[in-house]
Amino acid sequence: MSSNIWISDITHYYNKKQTSPTLDDINLTIPQGQLTALIGRSGCGKSTLLQMIAGLLIPTEGAVRISGHTVTKPSAKWNMMFQKPSLYPWMTVRENAALGLVFAGTYKQKKERVEELLDMVGLADHKDKNVQQLSGGQQQRVALARSLATEPDVLLLDEPFSALDAFTRSALQTEVAQICHDYGITMVLVTHDIEEAVAMADNVVIMNHNPGRIVGSMEVPLAYPRDRGTEEFGELKDYLFAEFEKIDQAKQAELAALEAQKDIQQTQQALAS
Amino acid sequence: MSTAQAAAPARSTDFVTQLSQGFKNLPMWAQTTVNSIFGMTILLVLWWIGGVLIQSNPDTEAFADFAPGPALSALWSLLGTEFLWDTIVSSLERILLGLFWGIVIGVPLGVLMGYFLAMRQLANMPFQFLRMISPLAWMPIAVLAFETWDGAIVFLIVMATVWPIVFGTAHGVQRIDPNWFRVAKNLGADGYQMLRRVIMPAIAQDVFAGIRLAVGVAWVVLVPAEYLGVTSGLGYAINDARDTLAYDTLAAMVVVIGVIGYLLDAIAVFLIKRYSWHAE
Repeated sequence: MSSNIWISDITHYYNKKQTSPTLDDINLTIPQGQLTALIGRSGCGKSTLLQMIAGLLIPTEGAVRISGHTVTKPSAKWNMMFQKPSLYPWMTVRENAALGLVFAGTYKQKKERVEELLDMVGLADHKDKNVQQLSGGQQQRVALARSLATEPDVLLLDEPFSALDAFTRSALQTEVAQICHDYGITMVLVTHDIEEAVAMADNVVIMNHNPGRIVGSMEVPLAYPRDRGTEEFGELKDYLFAEFEKIDQAKQAELAALEAQKDIQQTQQALAS
Repeated sequence: MSTAQAAAPARSTDFVTQLSQGFKNLPMWAQTTVNSIFGMTILLVLWWIGGVLIQSNPDTEAFADFAPGPALSALWSLLGTEFLWDTIVSSLERILLGLFWGIVIGVPLGVLMGYFLAMRQLANMPFQFLRMISPLAWMPIAVLAFETWDGAIVFLIVMATVWPIVFGTAHGVQRIDPNWFRVAKNLGADGYQMLRRVIMPAIAQDVFAGIRLAVGVAWVVLVPAEYLGVTSGLGYAINDARDTLAYDTLAAMVVVIGVIGYLLDAIAVFLIKRYSWHAE
């Protein structure tokens, strides 16, 4: 079971003093089973948007709907993976992975699922270890198994690989994209890494900051698993990078124009007084 | 000849290094046991020297029964008696009751203090102030406020135990990683599950560390508190032994207090280790 995500007319202010909204009139539809990457500089509101999809944050205006249901609170059906694995250090690998099922009261019936998932993410030999004995990459794999255990329709990733070394990172990018693809899970990934976006997503959405807006998107018509060495992959990456830079320069110009205008106003005021 | 003379001291240093090397190669528990026995022996020797000094001085001769010999034989004859066990049980009852209320009051207060900054700011000064007051200083008020001596003593114990538990718990709650809440919420935890699976295991070892400190203070406070009013308990037994000039019994009671205090602390240490989740 997978679901589509509708984001309609979202505008968000963290506090009333903000001059421009953190998110401004965001509309986005993510079809069932699609892998979408939200990219942009820090401060463009992409993480805010992701938290709203997860139900961890309620937008000032507008709403998120998943399969027709308005999201008002977190649920194990739309699960989020964070930058830090945030495992519980008093539990073993297995206990951590099973936690969502324990909360739902279904662990007894679904014990096998936890075992299978841990095998799948390559932790077959580490199930009884304390999570503090694992490497960073292994810990993030436990977090992945924990997220998948509750059979989520939607998997939300908030830069989950950014703290890992390059090899582990690219291995996990490939694996997670493959898993979501195989299980038909709708995935939304927040990242500022262009290669990660091209490696994992079917559709890349570009966001800009101040105010946070969607300013462009790009389809990635490559099959999974993706080979990063191909010419096509490189071209898409370059295109996205160029697109990103163009938007960035436009923003800089806009800001410079604003500054100039302010200067003129100040000079005028100074002259007037 | 001269070579043999030179070799002899060299061999003896060899022996010492070998011995210390051999000791270092023993398993840790064996080293700990040997050193602990060694430490207790030193204590016993000092006690014995004290006894000899007391006996050899005509002014203090009357107190010679404080020495290890009479004290330990008094302890041996006390061991089988109902009196000793009744004494221990009444003291333990007071301690446990005091500790119980200390935990019941201290843990929720500590959780509030750890969780809310305003609560911490509000409570820190008055609590630090109250913490520094010797629990025994509350004695006159306790006697006025409580109908029974037992009630007054338990109150004093509570005044001793509540502060370390409050501060230990608050420390534990402050150390909780906010992401643990976010992840648990995201996985669908309700309030009770959050408490049971996240908050309690996260703070358990800090709470027990607070309880360990509390037990130490409470045990120290209990004995003088039992000097007053009550007719049971270790404090009473000591006072009674002094009044009847039974100095060997008095010293035996001191040993009993030490042994039980040590055991209580060992239980607390065990609990801290049991609930500790820090990687070795």
